[in-house]
Amino acid sequence: MSVAVRTLRTVLVVALLWFSSTQSAHAIPAFARKYGLPCSACHQAWPMLNNFGQTFKDNGYQLGNDRDGPIYQQPAYWPIMFRTSTIWHRESNARRAIDSTPGVPSGGQVESSITTSGFDFSGLDIVAAGTLYNNISFFVQPFINNSGSTSINQSWMRFDRLLKTPWLNVKMGKFELDQPISQERSLILNNTGASYYNYFFTPPGDNNFFALGGIPLGVEVMGHSENDYTRYSVSVLSSNNGQPGLPTNSTYDVYANFTQGFELPGLGLQRGGAYAYFGQAPTFFQTNGGRPIAGTGTGNRNFSRVGAYGLWYFGKFDFSTFYLHGHNDVFLGNSVPSNQPGKLPVGAAGPSWNGGFVEAHYTYNPRLILIGKYELTRISKQANPGIPANAGNLDTWTFGYRWYPIMSPRAGLAWTQEFSHIVNAGAAPISGKDDISNSYLMGFDFDF
Amino acid sequence: MRIHFASAGIAVLLASLACVPSSVGQQSHVGGLNGNPKHGEQLYQRYCIFCHGRYGDGRGESAPYLDPKPRDFTVATFKCRSTPSGSLPLDSDLFDTITRGVHASNMPSWKPLTRQERVDLVAYVKAFSPKFTEEKPAAAVQIPPEPPTSAESVKRGAELFQTMNCWACHGKEGRGNGPSAATLTDSKGNPITPFDLTSGTRLKCGDSDQGIFRDLTTGLDGTPMPSFTDAMKPDQMWDVVHYIASLRASSKKGAKLENTNQPNQTEKN
Amino acid sequence: MKRANFLPLLLFVIFLIVSTGLVVLADPLPDNSSVSGTVKFTGVAPKGTRIDMSFDPNCAKTHPTPITTQEVVVGTGGGLENAVVYVSDGLSGKTFDPPAQPAVLEQKGCIYQPRVLALQANQKLDVKNDDATSHNIHPMPANNREWNKTQPPGVPIEESFAREEIAIPVKCNIHPWMRGYISVFKHPFFSVTDKEGAFELKNLPAGTYTLTAWHEKLGTQVQKVTVGAGETPKVNFVFKQ
Repeated sequence: MSVAVRTLRTVLVVALLWFSSTQSAHAIPAFARKYGLPCSACHQAWPMLNNFGQTFKDNGYQLGNDRDGPIYQQPAYWPIMFRTSTIWHRESNARRAIDSTPGVPSGGQVESSITTSGFDFSGLDIVAAGTLYNNISFFVQPFINNSGSTSINQSWMRFDRLLKTPWLNVKMGKFELDQPISQERSLILNNTGASYYNYFFTPPGDNNFFALGGIPLGVEVMGHSENDYTRYSVSVLSSNNGQPGLPTNSTYDVYANFTQGFELPGLGLQRGGAYAYFGQAPTFFQTNGGRPIAGTGTGNRNFSRVGAYGLWYFGKFDFSTFYLHGHNDVFLGNSVPSNQPGKLPVGAAGPSWNGGFVEAHYTYNPRLILIGKYELTRISKQANPGIPANAGNLDTWTFGYRWYPIMSPRAGLAWTQEFSHIVNAGAAPISGKDDISNSYLMGFDFDF
Repeated sequence: MRIHFASAGIAVLLASLACVPSSVGQQSHVGGLNGNPKHGEQLYQRYCIFCHGRYGDGRGESAPYLDPKPRDFTVATFKCRSTPSGSLPLDSDLFDTITRGVHASNMPSWKPLTRQERVDLVAYVKAFSPKFTEEKPAAAVQIPPEPPTSAESVKRGAELFQTMNCWACHGKEGRGNGPSAATLTDSKGNPITPFDLTSGTRLKCGDSDQGIFRDLTTGLDGTPMPSFTDAMKPDQMWDVVHYIASLRASSKKGAKLENTNQPNQTEKN
Repeated sequence: MKRANFLPLLLFVIFLIVSTGLVVLADPLPDNSSVSGTVKFTGVAPKGTRIDMSFDPNCAKTHPTPITTQEVVVGTGGGLENAVVYVSDGLSGKTFDPPAQPAVLEQKGCIYQPRVLALQANQKLDVKNDDATSHNIHPMPANNREWNKTQPPGVPIEESFAREEIAIPVKCNIHPWMRGYISVFKHPFFSVTDKEGAFELKNLPAGTYTLTAWHEKLGTQVQKVTVGAGETPKVNFVFKQ
């Protein structure tokens, strides 16, 4: 296996770890304080939304009770909340490369398992969100990760109910894509299980790190029926994966999503939907002295992510199902600039893959939820014949529960225990065997 | 260590669940659907308990900070009904209130819940007061067809607004600042203000002309707003409705009122 | 022949026995027992405050000199008016039909007359508006159904209360100084004291009873009384400041 592939695989793993340490942010006691509702009114189990909460969100964080504008609140009300977790966790990786003799890099490397554990904490999410005025909503989310660096996760404003219809809402800024099954509201915190890998997947050898679960920059037009059963969303986004400062190029991606809800008698509301993301990514940059000039990405090649999903409710059980089919252009897939087609390996092709997950919940009551998830990806076509057929495939299982000892309109506290297990096919750095990682996490997740 | 935490947690959880009273439950029938009070109980604990309280007495955790206060179901006095003053509400009245919410209050519209869920909640809410077993609601009031509005009708309505003493609470211009307004309390003793008829805010029990006619006929029980069924004939009430509509249209934010001409229409969806 | 003469006598004796038994077992028939007495107040009665009716000229013109609030009304002899004296215990198990005659509550001079009214459960209540302005009649019960109706001048309103309650405050939201009380009883043994504080509970069957005197501001007092057939004992209550 080539060094390039191995390096890129390491980059993939690091990227996944980075994304999974991003705190999912959205259980918002500031809304509960504003309206006097408990967390359980909007959240199946926070941060996961139920239908009432999804409708509230789609209405621009408004209940429509003639008390949404900030002028109706007590002057002391401030639409801000924070969320963080204090945990104990244990990580183990079955096959990592380590020096045969510690401290002696020239002594060669072996494959070994690595286990770490201890007390830890997640980063800190701060969210200010709500209404600037009737039918103008906003959302600003700085995030401080647990080593102290700050970023802005989301920052947007939205005109709600334009032309007095819920079918026309326009949002602009840095925002998560319209996905009813949201990475931002995952119930799982641990390093292995927190991510929906299908939202972040990059095949081996590929340099397009586009993430469906990322937070892009752009404009979204969204609409929904009055009861929020029918929803559509169309976004035009800059092709820079949400990085500010115009680092890549001037092309734009398009994302469309459609959801339809329907009631099954005796079982409740079900939702099914389909989405498509068509984007472009640059394969090389203009340079100055050999160094790429920011924003001058060129040689743009296409990629796509399409699929379907569903949210199924059967009494106290509910299931989230998700399917994705991804495709990157051959130049992206092989990390080759499009103006040097000669560099493409023999038999190069645009990689394609399929993946999906099923996440099951059992909500014993609004304060106790059991969680199970299984996710997989399968590459159907590798970028070139030199990549083993199963490289990049993964299977992951997660089990856990969240218990909410207090739930009030002012603050929330959850105790969580989770275990996740992942098998990365052929990802072991030296032997090429499967890399297996386990994460176990327990701790308190709280927000105010 | 790990197991210790989990079992302690589960023990506390089970203890807290034991405190929730189970209720006998009531029947509810709305539009062909039958309410399941056990399911209504689960829904109540998820959505309603923080304002309306564990015992349905309107003393939930949030209640001290809300104005108007959440409804006390144990008294079984409800504002938004289609039955005469002093009568219990119909199941469909409770269903409509849950669906519509109560504008300009903390009671949201629960339309995102399915119809079956809302009917289940009606069954559970009724169980908080024994009055629903001891009495039956009276028949719904009849709303006759609305005559078309006219300048004369509005003028007659303005005169009735005077002679019926509406102005004593609602003010000469309908702004809610009448001479008695400051003295008003609801039946629990909490201060309550008369509705500002010139504001653009939607009326609490429904916004159509039919809704205003119905409110005048049934009164809003539990508040100072009386029933005018002994005081005015239907034609006179329509004149008052037209006058009120003219007050609301005069405000900048005044919304056009629907004239659906369908009496006692249970809210769609 | 001789045997046949006994038959009418036998029938008469049987009739006597049966009718006496019926008398004994029947609901109490009037037997001229009653309890009467006075409710007095000792101390200085709190003064009422002046009522300003000016915002409604139809009310103001009925009182050339403004009247005061009437929460504690004490007569010249110390008698406490508007107290309700009633049997609160001793009638267990007996039922009493409400009288056909309605109780009448008048709105006159923009005040309730009488201020304190007592009636039986399910007895008709006639509410009259003798003023030139509309009132709304709004009882606020704890144990009965709450209703609230507007009443223009001269339009009659008829209502009733199904359950016992002592006492239901009544207000008019249009005229906020208006205040009345309605006491509802399951039996007919109640009396509202007059200007001299006098009350009488007529036609009380013989027995031992607990009497309660209730006043809107001064609270309640309780006394026991035993009434023999044909007796008319006196019971007096004294409320202090």
